[in-house]
Amino acid sequence: MTASSLLTADATAPPVRLGRVRLYARRFARNRGALLGVALFLGLVLFALFGSLFTSWTFSESDYFALTQPPTTAHPFGTNQGGNDVLAECVHGLQRSLVIALTVSVLTMIIAAVVGAGAAYLGGRLERFSLAAIHFLLVVPSFLILALVSNRVAGDWRVLIIVLTIFGWMFNARVIWSVSTSLRERDYVRTAEFMGVKPWRIVLRHIVPHLGALLIVNLTLGIDDTVLSETALSFLGFGVKPPDVSLGSLLADGASTISSASWLFVYPAGLLVVLTVSVMLIGDGLRDALDPTSFSGGRG
Amino acid sequence: MLRYVLRRTVGWIAMIVAATNAAFFLASWFLDPRSNYRELGKLRTDQQISTALRPYGLDPDQSVVDRWWFWIKDVVLHFDWGHSPTGVSVNSEVAYRVVVSGELVLVGTVLSVVLGVALGVYTASRQYGAVDRITQTVSIVLYNVPTAVGALGLVLFAVWFNQRIGTTVLHVAGASTPGIDGAWSRLFDRLDHLVLPTVALTLLGYASWHVTQRALLLDTLHADFVRTARATGLTRTQAIRRHALRASLIPTATSVAFTVPSVFTGAIITETVFGWRGMGTYFTGTIANNDVHGAVAVAAFGAAMTAIGAIFADIATVALDPRIRVR
Repeated sequence: MTASSLLTADATAPPVRLGRVRLYARRFARNRGALLGVALFLGLVLFALFGSLFTSWTFSESDYFALTQPPTTAHPFGTNQGGNDVLAECVHGLQRSLVIALTVSVLTMIIAAVVGAGAAYLGGRLERFSLAAIHFLLVVPSFLILALVSNRVAGDWRVLIIVLTIFGWMFNARVIWSVSTSLRERDYVRTAEFMGVKPWRIVLRHIVPHLGALLIVNLTLGIDDTVLSETALSFLGFGVKPPDVSLGSLLADGASTISSASWLFVYPAGLLVVLTVSVMLIGDGLRDALDPTSFSGGRG
Repeated sequence: MLRYVLRRTVGWIAMIVAATNAAFFLASWFLDPRSNYRELGKLRTDQQISTALRPYGLDPDQSVVDRWWFWIKDVVLHFDWGHSPTGVSVNSEVAYRVVVSGELVLVGTVLSVVLGVALGVYTASRQYGAVDRITQTVSIVLYNVPTAVGALGLVLFAVWFNQRIGTTVLHVAGASTPGIDGAWSRLFDRLDHLVLPTVALTLLGYASWHVTQRALLLDTLHADFVRTARATGLTRTQAIRRHALRASLIPTATSVAFTVPSVFTGAIITETVFGWRGMGTYFTGTIANNDVHGAVAVAAFGAAMTAIGAIFADIATVALDPRIRVR
């Protein structure tokens, strides 16, 4: 075989077709930051699940012989003023923060997608009403209402999930609405209409899937937003309250003794930063992988 | 233009009124002023507590509509926003705290915007250079640091620094040291107290300006009109400065217009960490102390500032963007 026939053979060979998921995975895997984010996030999940194996204490037990102790072998992260093991508290707090963040961001994204896409496609009175509700909830100082409600229900993390969901979906719904308004005139939507598909079915089967990339990226970044607001609420004493702990309430505990017992602040703070940064790296990687016009992950 | 602004203003005022009244009913529903008196130690009957609360229109035995009427009458007729359950006037409290918050947040906000936008412009025209990569990483990490973590981290650093130096150079709490004589030393003391919270606000605030301004300028850098400008013989720097930069500053100006009034609503967590008695800590205080009128006043103030910001933003867009015409 000559060199020229090799070349032509190569050129005429059909290009290897990758499945969509494999293509996205390949683009994602090229992004070193995104991989680091996945590794950090998995590490945090493992720590939340199995971190309690490193200590013989639970987060609510008090070791009265070790009050406000710096890290030792018995208490790898030290203890607080009440003799609680900080490692056990951090593991429990991380579980709380992770569960709250994941649930809230999934729920808000579902609501935002259904309301935003539904309002854009169905139009008319429903659209005007949804937009008015969204704008009103955006003007109302949501942090004040969050604090009011979650303060009253006294720190139950399940109620916190509901409250954060109710006041967290509007902004995404607004974005999804404005993107979906351009979708309702598309040919494939028209075709579905002519085939007699019911309106809500069009919204759920034809419009929402088209927003997939946007939804996945916003879902990831929503985790960060939820972690930040949960932390802020719990730090101010309006979120998760004792005896339960989250990373935010641990920060508040550490704040008062920051110069005398810095380990109470350092460990939960470190976990929080690793959590938000890893999620952000994953979100950035997903955006680049799913966006066909982005070449930051290399071509193809 | 004037008619447009007027029409928008009317719409916003309606929004503010609706939001404020909604806040009143929510606060009345969720906050219980009686529990403050119950915590006072001396045992009082519910009857006595009701009598004490009645002059402020906070008596839970009255219907919520009666309490609302009592409150709205004073707001509309005298611009009197009511009293806390212990009888402190909301007006005087807010007037004092707005100044404190303004003093604290204004410098931090200005520094964040200037530093962020300057960095964004500098790094966008040097995309993927060493400086760009380093500052981008730093900004993204800082952007994702919870405010409480960042502010407390600074406190930790300041405590360590003060110990190293041997004297208190960086103050970690309060707006001033009590009992200092002389105008100059008092001014210096106040400035000294401002250093740490301002650094905290700037470090945690500049990152979003940097990232968005960089992205905006990168978008316009490759636009056709910039290439056309290059084709007319401008150098790259001139084309960026005169054409790309100007177009990319429009969205930023809108955001700045939105941000400026929010200076006066304060920074809740930064004020809590550094022990400033501004609007932010007032807000948390009203909720923790079941201060219905105070919480509603904060909500109304916040809504008003959002509205002013939005109107500023509209004006800024129209003034800067030659493509936009309003009637």
